[in-house]
Formats: sequence, C-alpha cells, structure tokens
Amino acid sequence: MLDPYLPLVFMFALAGAFALFSVTAAPYIGPRRYNRAKLDAYECGIEPSPQPVVGGGRMPVAYYLTAMLFILFDIEMVFLYPFAVSADRLGLFGLVEIALFVATVGFAYAYVWRRGGLDWN
Amino acid sequence: MGVTTFLAQADELRAPAVDYGAVAPVLIVLGAACASVLFEAFLSKSQRWIGQVVLALITLVASGTALAIYAGDAPEQGTLTLSGALAVDRPVLFLWATLLLLSFGSILLIADRSVEPGGAFVAEAGVRPGTVQDRAQAAKSGMQTEVFPLTLFALGGMMVFVAANDLLTMFIALEVLSLPLYLMCGLARRRRLLSQEAAVKYFLLGAFASAFFLYGVALLYGYAGSVKLADIAAAAAGTNRSDTLLFAGFGLLVVGLLFKASVGPFHAWTPDVYQGAPTPVTAFMAACTKVAAFGGILRVLGIAFEATEWEWRGVLWGVAIASMLIGAVLGLTQTDVKRMIAYSSVAHAGFLLVGSIALTPEGLSGTLFYLLAYGFTTLAAFGVVSLVRDADGEATHLSQWAGLAKRSPVVAGVFTFLLLALAGIPLTSGFIGKFVVFSAAVQDGMAPLVVVALVASAVAAFFYLRVIVLMYFSEPAPDGPTVSVPGAFTTVAITLGAVITLVLGLWPAFVLDWAGAGAFIS
Amino acid sequence: MTPTYYLLLSALLFSLGAVGVLVRRNAIVVFMCVELMLNAVNLSLVTFARINGELDGQIMAFFVMVVAAAEVVVGLTIIMSIFRTRRSASVDDSNLLKY
Repeated sequence: MLDPYLPLVFMFALAGAFALFSVTAAPYIGPRRYNRAKLDAYECGIEPSPQPVVGGGRMPVAYYLTAMLFILFDIEMVFLYPFAVSADRLGLFGLVEIALFVATVGFAYAYVWRRGGLDWN
Repeated sequence: MGVTTFLAQADELRAPAVDYGAVAPVLIVLGAACASVLFEAFLSKSQRWIGQVVLALITLVASGTALAIYAGDAPEQGTLTLSGALAVDRPVLFLWATLLLLSFGSILLIADRSVEPGGAFVAEAGVRPGTVQDRAQAAKSGMQTEVFPLTLFALGGMMVFVAANDLLTMFIALEVLSLPLYLMCGLARRRRLLSQEAAVKYFLLGAFASAFFLYGVALLYGYAGSVKLADIAAAAAGTNRSDTLLFAGFGLLVVGLLFKASVGPFHAWTPDVYQGAPTPVTAFMAACTKVAAFGGILRVLGIAFEATEWEWRGVLWGVAIASMLIGAVLGLTQTDVKRMIAYSSVAHAGFLLVGSIALTPEGLSGTLFYLLAYGFTTLAAFGVVSLVRDADGEATHLSQWAGLAKRSPVVAGVFTFLLLALAGIPLTSGFIGKFVVFSAAVQDGMAPLVVVALVASAVAAFFYLRVIVLMYFSEPAPDGPTVSVPGAFTTVAITLGAVITLVLGLWPAFVLDWAGAGAFIS
Repeated sequence: MTPTYYLLLSALLFSLGAVGVLVRRNAIVVFMCVELMLNAVNLSLVTFARINGELDGQIMAFFVMVVAAAEVVVGLTIIMSIFRTRRSASVDDSNLLKY
C-alpha cells in the first residue's frame, strides 16, 4: 500500500541528512573568513541601499560574471529532467548518454575553474 | 492527454541506432573541440599555442580520413542515423569534405604568427582598447588561444548543420556555429574597437535572425506536427491544412537561413563584420559559413519544400536578383578591400541562390561545385589581404594598394588571379562554377534570372578589374604599405586556395562528377 | 479557452520583440527584445505540442531555453566589452564601420 511512497520517504530522509551533514560539517571543514557582507540579511551579491557611490552605483562586474556562469550551468540541468522521468525506460543507453552530457558540462566547468572564472576578485 | 500519449510511447523507448562510421567525422571534430577546451584549462600558457595548433590540424586530418574511409563504401543513396536526425548522403559527404578542406586553410591562417608578430588575435581580450595596456598587449607575442576551440566548435556546428534532417537539429547546429563566430569577430589584435563593434553588430543581427528561424520552426511544427523535413514535405504534399502556417513558417525559416548565407537584402551585417573581424576569421566566415548556410538552404528547399516549389519560387527569384544587384552595385562604391570582397560575397550569394532554387540534380551539383570553388578563392584572397601591411596593421584602404605590383609582383599576381576567378573569367574555377550554375538554371526554365545574373557578373567584374588596374598601372605611394613575407602557414593556405582555383578551372570534371554523385536522402 | 489564443499571444509577443529590436537604441534592450522573441517561440511550441497531443514541442522548448541562455552569456560578454570602452551601450554609437 505504502510502497510507491517509500522512495519518497527515503528521499526526504536523505535530503534532511544531507542538510544536517552540511551544516554540521561546514564549520569544521571550511575556512572561516567573516566579513560584513556575510552578515547581511540577503547575501546575494547586491549591496543593500544606500548603493555604493563608486562606479555610479552600478553592480560590480564580478557579480555579472558569476551570475552568468551560474545561469549557464544551471540551465544545462534542464536536460536532466526529461532523462529523469524516463530513466528506467532508457536503461543503460540513457545513463551513458547523460554521463557523456554531464562530462561535457564538466569540461566547461574545468575551463572556468582553472582560468579563474570562479575567483571573486 | 499529452502525458498519457507520452507514457504509451515510452514503453517502446529504444536506443536509437547510431551509424558510427557515418558520423565519425563530426564526432572527431566535436570531440577534439572538447579536448581543446581541456587544453585551455590545463596546459601552461607557453604550451597552449603549439598544443592547440597540433590538435586542430590532427583533428582535421583525422576527420578527413574518417570521411574518406566512409565515403569509399558508403551506400549509394545515403543513410539516416541517430533516429533520422542526421542524413549522411552524397551531397553531405561532399559538403563535409569541402568544409574540412576550407577549415584546414582557415586554421593555418588563424595559427600564423609570422605576418603579425604573435598572430592576428588579441593577447588579452579583457583589455580596454586605446589604453596603455592595449598597446602593451598589441606588442606581446602571445594570443588568445581560445580561438582554436571556438573554430572547432563552429566547424562541428557547420558539419551538423548541412547534415541536419530535422529543423530542431538544424537550429541547434546553427547556434553552435554562430555563437563561436560572434566571439571570434571581437578578437582582433589591432583596431580593437572596430573588431568589438563588428562582434556586437554580428551578434545582435544574428540573434535577431535566429529568432526568425526559430519562429519559422515553431510554425512548421504546428503545421506538420513534426519538425522532420520529410514529414513537412509529406504534410505539404497532400493535406487540407491551413496554408498560412506553412507559408508563414517557410518565410520566417528562410529569412533566418538567407541571413546566415549573407544573401541580400539580408546582408546588412556582412560588410561591417567582414571588415571589423580579424582577417583569418573573415576568411573562415566567408568560406565556411557560406558553404554551411547554402548546404542548409539546399536541403531545406530540396526536401521539405519541393512540393510547394511553385508557390515560393517567385519570391526567391526576387531575393536572388536583389542580392546580385546589391552586391554588384554597392561593391563598386567601396574603398576598402575587405568591404569590397564582402559585397562580392553578397553578389556570389545571389548566384548561389540561383543554383539553389533550381531543384534539379544539375542545380544541386552546380551549387555544390560553386561553393567549393568560391570558398577556396575567397579564402586565398583574404590570405593575401592579410599580407599587405603598414605600421598600423593591415592596409586595407584601396588607395594603399596602388602600384602594389611594383613592390611585390608575386603577391599582386596571385591576387589578380583570385580576383579574375571571383569575376568568373575562363581558366579559373569561378568561370566553371558560374557556367554550371547558370546552365542548370536555364534548363530549369529560369532564363530571365540568368540574364540578370550575367548583367550582375559584368558589373561586378568591373570592380575587380579596377583593383587590378590600380595595382598594375598606378605609381606606389612613397609611404605605402609593405608586403610581409608570409611564414609557412599562410603560404600553404594561399597556395592551396590559388592552386585549387586553377585546377578546378582547368580540370573541373572529376570534382563535378563527385558533386553530382547522388541526391539528398530524407 | 482554446489554444488559439496562446498562439495569438505568442505572435503578439514575437512582433513586440521584433519591433523592439528595430526601434530601441540600447544594445542591452535590443538584446532583451530578442530574448522576448525566443520566449514567444517557446509559447508557440508548447501550444502546438498541446494541440498535437505530443511532448515534442515541450522538449524543443527546453532546447530553446538552453540555447537562449548560452546566447545571453555570449551576447552580454560582447556588449560588456564594448561598454567598458565607450561607457555607453547605445547601438547608435557603434558607427566606425560604414562606408
């Protein structure tokens, strides 16, 4: 009776465990560098008002670059959705194809990472 | 409703059969493009140029070898693979071979570092033009080697574009070939601002045109319920569906294609982009993009819209006439060599369109031959343009070319030969190309169009002759440009172009046979 | 509610985008108009998918979204690079290339 929902329960448990693990592990693993921006209510790159006077109140260029990279890699994942809903029917072929696709995205990621696209400064 | 249909189909999901032999040339190019990105990521700055050049040249040779092996025992009528997304038939094999040969020449021009110390590409693209840092980067010996992966991706896109058997694949391929080209336009080492402006113009107009193409795809999908070319043809042949969707879709789709092929009146970007882009990139665009775009036009017209030929033919007649006249007349008024060749390419696009709308085997083979011939001539012509330089880089103003024959008889001689080929003088490939295309058009009952084409050729011949006269019968200016001695790469590229132009002019038969070896499969 | 209305809306949005490209002067706005055109196409695609009772059109919309995102990145990079030189994104200022 509950069978179809069992994976869902597992999924929730897994998600909760991952969140808990991340929050617990972060202070021990990650470096700690506090700055004012991190204490802001919305930490998304935009300084809260009043806007900075330098640069005519424009957003920093680094923000634009990061946002672009985020959108690019984020939108690629749209292809995982059709794969996911028919993963069992596609079988091994689908798995190989999607692995190739993710690997291709990985090449782009390797380029961005190695050439400093992810450095904020 | 949609979901239930989908689930019913889903039970039959099977892996599409892939004919790896047939698609190997494309896979090699795209795989190498990915490898090239990894080279950029992991090689040190000093190793990148040599690594990229070796990779690119090996790729082209390997892809050409795979193509030759497959063509040796390919099925006569061609094959459909990847669930019908790609069609590999004789015309596609011919176009692939053309694209590979032309990009071989283009890569050589792009890689050359002898004509301009450090190459024609910017050392640091992020530097603002006109600043101290910009002058420093112009003197640096490095270059942005990202141009190599970009070229390979563009080439991969072109190869898929000419083989695409459904409109969605065609759209993706169109973007894969366009996006790298937009970026490559903005990478010139000298005259950075001009180059960036060219990139902006090409990008905005190109994105506009691809939106038109895409809306055409959507309307045709609504009309036929499928984006496969064969299904559209079947739907158009016998149905009582609304013709509005069909013809609106056709119109929008063709506008997108004609834009890429720089057929007038959709040519507005061509002169600006050809002038502003780095000359090797201009050569690549002028030769390869033209081949890819006309490959796509031939396939779309020949398969999807064959049944409705008489409905659209009049419109494309008008477009071809406009293109030939715009190219020939505006070409006369140009004072810049690169712009002049750009307008010449608009006129040539008109001639090519004449062949493309004759939906006969002769029209197909003639257009394919013309593409090969024109590609090599224009590639070599831009190669020569990159040699004539003064202190500011390339001297492209026509007045600076005065008396060039006295400074460098060899370069002037080669350029004269190439211009004669562009004009279509006998003993050059240009003449044979025009001859086969025009005779195919006459056989298909388009004699009035051919008369216009001949008039346009005559007008266009005038501006080529004007340059020749200028080079031979004017006194060189005392502070005129010098002619650089090209290194091995540029020499090979120009020689390749000039020799093929000559060979195709003298012994065209074997290539004509090859171009006429088969028809499209759908 | 018949699907035809969605097609009309899509045609309207596409035309708005096309007019915007032709009359606006700021490169960023021109570019946004192109994006509007692409999204109008997406609306058409999913509507036709609904009319035809298949999912092909929706999958095509995915492809269009991804291509549009890639185009955004390439386009903004090019526009940014020229903006840093000129401090202006007006297409009227790009006037070095003419005969």
